[in-house]
Amino acid sequence: MNEAVLVLEQVRTPMAGSPHVLDVDLRIAAGEFVALVGPSRSGKSLVIELAAGLVRPEAGRVVLLGHEWNDTPESEQTPVRLRVGTVLQQPGLLSNMTVFNNVLLPLRYHRGAMSDRDRAQAVMAELERLGLSALRDRFPAELNHGEVRRAAIARALMLDPEVLLLDDPVAGLDAELVLVLKRHLEERRAHHAMTVVAALRAPSPFIEAVDRLLVLRDGRVVADGTREAVVGVVPESLRMYVA
Amino acid sequence: MIEWVGRKTIAGYTYLASLATLFTQAVLDLVLPTQQGRRDTLWVLIRQILFTGVDALPVTTVIALLLGIIIVTQAGTQLPRLGAGGLVGGIIVVTVVRELGPLITAFIVVGRSGTAIATELGNMSVTREVVALRLMGISISRFVIMPRMVGMVLSMLCLTLYFDVVAVLGGYLVADVQLTIPFYAFVESITKALSTTDVLMTAIKGLSFGSAVAAICCYHGLAVRSSFTEVPQQTTRAMINSFVLCLLIDVVVTVPLYL
Repeated sequence: MNEAVLVLEQVRTPMAGSPHVLDVDLRIAAGEFVALVGPSRSGKSLVIELAAGLVRPEAGRVVLLGHEWNDTPESEQTPVRLRVGTVLQQPGLLSNMTVFNNVLLPLRYHRGAMSDRDRAQAVMAELERLGLSALRDRFPAELNHGEVRRAAIARALMLDPEVLLLDDPVAGLDAELVLVLKRHLEERRAHHAMTVVAALRAPSPFIEAVDRLLVLRDGRVVADGTREAVVGVVPESLRMYVA
Repeated sequence: MIEWVGRKTIAGYTYLASLATLFTQAVLDLVLPTQQGRRDTLWVLIRQILFTGVDALPVTTVIALLLGIIIVTQAGTQLPRLGAGGLVGGIIVVTVVRELGPLITAFIVVGRSGTAIATELGNMSVTREVVALRLMGISISRFVIMPRMVGMVLSMLCLTLYFDVVAVLGGYLVADVQLTIPFYAFVESITKALSTTDVLMTAIKGLSFGSAVAAICCYHGLAVRSSFTEVPQQTTRAMINSFVLCLLIDVVVTVPLYL
């Protein structure tokens, strides 16, 4: 098995808005495409936030790309963050920047040596692949939910991350765009080893692309394995999330 | 009661320590050069100077002129009647250049730009733009706080000096009809009374007020957590605390001069 890029070791932490406590112990190997599925308030978003180092667990440790978040002060987190692309439930596109400038920002900030032309080309190529090139000059307030999400995913991919953390990447996308996104991530992974961890709220064709499914309920992993393996073991009430 | 006083004192010190930390980090970001995001940071800085400094010129001009008219008229008409016409320059320099110029400029900047910064950062916090920047490895201090702070300090300094000039000279020109002192005598009286200490004092106040207002407004903007209703609450706190801290700094800077 490949080396683990994300480890949540005996992690326990309260879940906001739920009487349950997230209690997970999991390892995600380099290059894996993992989907976290389950009903609302099952702890999927919290796992993404823990992995991104935004939440410190009450107990246990979270290690991403060999760095334990608890031991990494804020000032030393940048090198890790540059290797990780994250899109949260609220994607946080900068409201005073156009789609183009939002997607360009990580390149302009971190890749000073790149020429303006190369950066612009890279951004346009990414926008093109995600069907956003016509919206390049729009501001986030002028976009619909799915467009905002795709722009945020494009931004998260600009630095060629080794790990991509996505919270509800298909929210607001129609069936065709889900397939566009799925194909795009598959192409990316074919060219460049990238671990993807995605939290999914509803059944989606996106799930066909994943290597491994983690089914969560009330803060616990109730099934873990390939889609075929998980379908056979999840309780009936959760089967809709993996079907 | 003692417990309450203790709690409030600790909260006050913690608050000031947080402002000092924010300010120190911004200064470090300014003086420690890095190639990362220089152009973006510069762009934020230029926009801040345009908004806080350049866009504030009309309102600063109007307020400085009105205040100048009041003070120059009062000093220029009352003092000669009391046989203290020679003190006109001194009184105007002390009142406008040392005190009211920096203070009123600070109040204008707090009202226009301080509240705008607190609101902008508050909204950015609620919409998770601040978190998104962090996740992209973009330093909040370098990209968000430092350029706003530098922009505000430079703008405050320039606006303060501009305010002083407009209030003193503009005030005279507008109030000219009521005065018995000729213009050349007025200017001579001002230049005689104006010392390096006065100019230094107005500059120190401009710089300190700018730093304090920027730190407070950034702090309160970023203190917003999860709801848009927190934004006006934090903005109000930022405004009130800015006024109080500016007055406190004014006392700390002014009083030792007379000891």
